[in-house]
Amino acid sequence: MSSLRRPSLPVRAAVHLGVYLVAATMLAPFLWMLLTSLKTDQEAAQAPTLGNLLPAVWQWRNYPRAVEAADLHLYYANSTVVAVVTTVLAVAHNALAGFAFAKMRFAGRRVLFWMTLATMMLPMQCFFIFAYLISRWLGFIDNWQALIVPFLASGFGVFYMRQAVSAVPDALLEAGRIDGMDDWDLFWTIVRPMAWPAITALAIFSFMNSWNNFFWPLIVIDSIGEKTLPLAVADLASGQYMQSWPETMAAATILILPLIVIFFFCQRAFVRGVALTGIKE
Amino acid sequence: MAGRQTRSAYFFVVFPLGILLVFTLVPTVVGLGLSFFQWNGDGPPSFVGFRNFQALFRDAKFWPALRNTMVYGLVSVPPAVLLAFLLAVAVHARWFRGKALVRTLFFMPTIISVVAIGFVWRWLLDDQAGLLNYGLRLVGVDDPPNWLQDGYWPFFWIIVISVWQKVGFCLVLYLAALAGINETLYEAAEVDGASRVAVLRHITWPQAAPMTAFLMVTGVISALMVFDLVYVVTGSTAGSISESDYTNVLNLFIFRQFGYSRFGYASAIGVVIFLLTVVATAAQLGLFAERGGKGAAR
Repeated sequence: MSSLRRPSLPVRAAVHLGVYLVAATMLAPFLWMLLTSLKTDQEAAQAPTLGNLLPAVWQWRNYPRAVEAADLHLYYANSTVVAVVTTVLAVAHNALAGFAFAKMRFAGRRVLFWMTLATMMLPMQCFFIFAYLISRWLGFIDNWQALIVPFLASGFGVFYMRQAVSAVPDALLEAGRIDGMDDWDLFWTIVRPMAWPAITALAIFSFMNSWNNFFWPLIVIDSIGEKTLPLAVADLASGQYMQSWPETMAAATILILPLIVIFFFCQRAFVRGVALTGIKE
Repeated sequence: MAGRQTRSAYFFVVFPLGILLVFTLVPTVVGLGLSFFQWNGDGPPSFVGFRNFQALFRDAKFWPALRNTMVYGLVSVPPAVLLAFLLAVAVHARWFRGKALVRTLFFMPTIISVVAIGFVWRWLLDDQAGLLNYGLRLVGVDDPPNWLQDGYWPFFWIIVISVWQKVGFCLVLYLAALAGINETLYEAAEVDGASRVAVLRHITWPQAAPMTAFLMVTGVISALMVFDLVYVVTGSTAGSISESDYTNVLNLFIFRQFGYSRFGYASAIGVVIFLLTVVATAAQLGLFAERGGKGAAR
């Protein structure tokens, strides 16, 4: 309604107040989580008052305590390796396939592209059983392959990269070919730099999905040592009662920290990356 | 299409398409078929016709799970979409201060692991030390419910959390949609002296309708497959899934049967979810198309 005349000051103030109130509820639970993670168990259990809102002594050692209690450093390493490898390889695969679909002619191109689109509509969560069995036959269960290989391409990723690469002018590619470049050179020296914004957005999206993935790791990982961070943290709160709220909140903070940090450094790409899912699902 | 016929194209697509084939396409097709077999993964599956479905409809755990899944899909998505629309209209206004900040704040739940989200809410809703019950006692509610245990309260909160979690994502997409609306429509409305409410009803809402349709359809599809949030909020573990009829959903039910290696039976539940998503999508697309048609006629 940008071109409509401005409403009166009280109306504008009320709208701002309303929006910011709702916005505050998005942040408040996480602030409360952070504060709780820095209190003693007794403090956390006390009724909250203005006086004890902040910890009397900031209990930073809750963090090493949480890490030690659940060996979180191991799972951090697992999750990092899985997310980084998945992201790098998946983006490369999707970008190359997108390049092929956008700029190359080959027999079966249309059929294969429709197949790719079809996979975007299929609800993986209803039919994960046979995907699990295939992983088992391939010997993937209980190791990193199970967490990485199924995510090395996505229908959405291929589709998105195809759209992005389509915007690269054909004349540039033709000029490259005349200069004697093969398809790899064309991809690396022309397509990659020109599609870079799309590539970073897709990378962030892939990393986030891999880091937060819960359902699939739960299915394919049995032994404790191979778990990813979300699984390990979820185990902390198994059953109805938590051992120690501050420790649990510290673990949850550790879990979300990498994405929060990445979010604040590349917010624009992040918003674009998630707005991408607008075309997905 | 400047491309020549080239062999490297196959090299570029073979691996990604192989992954999609093996881990998405084949499991879906086989999953549909498996629902007619009894199989524990060893040896050959034995064909049982519709018996998996007959057993499913007699399973006392099935109907509550089906009902909860449908309630969750119907009740959690529309409020999130509607709230996001109203917020987006406010934030999109030229006089709104702090767009970037608001977008950042609303985005937090979108990027954060459901595990952390479940934890922090369980802490807020804790019977004894939770912030909510403390507040309620403060205003004189002496015996507030145990939100995570009593009857339908856990399910109620799962829906609330899900709305809270989805709003930001819908907001960001609505902001993109609102930015794409043709300015001249608003200018024409201004010339005609249309009221603010009239502009909202007759320009902004219909112009954003494709986005609304998209958010509703995709939102309901993913809601029908809900798993993580219910799992975490009910305090389930891989070994012991909460099977309370108050909170059970179909995907949790599949997970349970999968744990027993009843692959055919679990696939039959998968088919039920699949059919639900197809019906829900068709119904909504029909609804939006009809509305769109009427709008055009008006």
